[in-house]
Amino acid sequence: MSNKGIHTKLATLSSLLLTILFVYTAVSKLVHLDLFQWRLERMPYVAPYATLISWGVPFLELVITGLLWFRRYRTMAFYASFILLGLFTIYIIIVLRYSDSIPCSCGGVISALGWKDHILLNITFMVFALLGILWSKKQYNMQSHQNTT
Amino acid sequence: MKSYFLKLVLPAFAILLAVGLAFATENERVAQEAHYFLPGQGWQTVMVEDDCGASGNEACEYNGIQLYSERDFGSIALRKP
Repeated sequence: MSNKGIHTKLATLSSLLLTILFVYTAVSKLVHLDLFQWRLERMPYVAPYATLISWGVPFLELVITGLLWFRRYRTMAFYASFILLGLFTIYIIIVLRYSDSIPCSCGGVISALGWKDHILLNITFMVFALLGILWSKKQYNMQSHQNTT
Repeated sequence: MKSYFLKLVLPAFAILLAVGLAFATENERVAQEAHYFLPGQGWQTVMVEDDCGASGNEACEYNGIQLYSERDFGSIALRKP
């Protein structure tokens, strides 16, 4: 198997995992939108923007999912995934400093995780996004190299 | 054929799997601590679902007694939608 093939497959695997995460959490949030909004209204710092966030985050997750499957936008989508997960992780860390008894306002069964488990989950997917950036860049470089030779 | 699989079948499968999982799993309601005052016994602590918060139409109660966010009548009297 060529290196190009490996990088394409690994980038696809990262896309696949991020797709499952984002679609799952977005659909869970949209199905229970009232509950998600209710929880956001009780979160520190973000409460005034609860309505905007409750629609914006699932929308953003679905847009990123779509972009992950267009080769042209894949690297950008990996960056967006990394930034979105990173912002959420930073927010969790700030919230934990504020209080450790704040319920999670996340989608589906993920809300059953404790905050620390949630940070671990986010970091795992951030690593996938980071690897996706590296692999899709290598794939792009190899394609460019092949086109010039 | 291989490209068709990677571009269409795989993402479609992942999306269907995630949507199916989202509908198949319940949105976990996380418990939180709440407090109520029992005359003669003082402040008691119970676990309640996180629906209870600062606003809402209904009072959050335990055996008919109003729940508070802290062991203090000056703290938030919990309510739910």
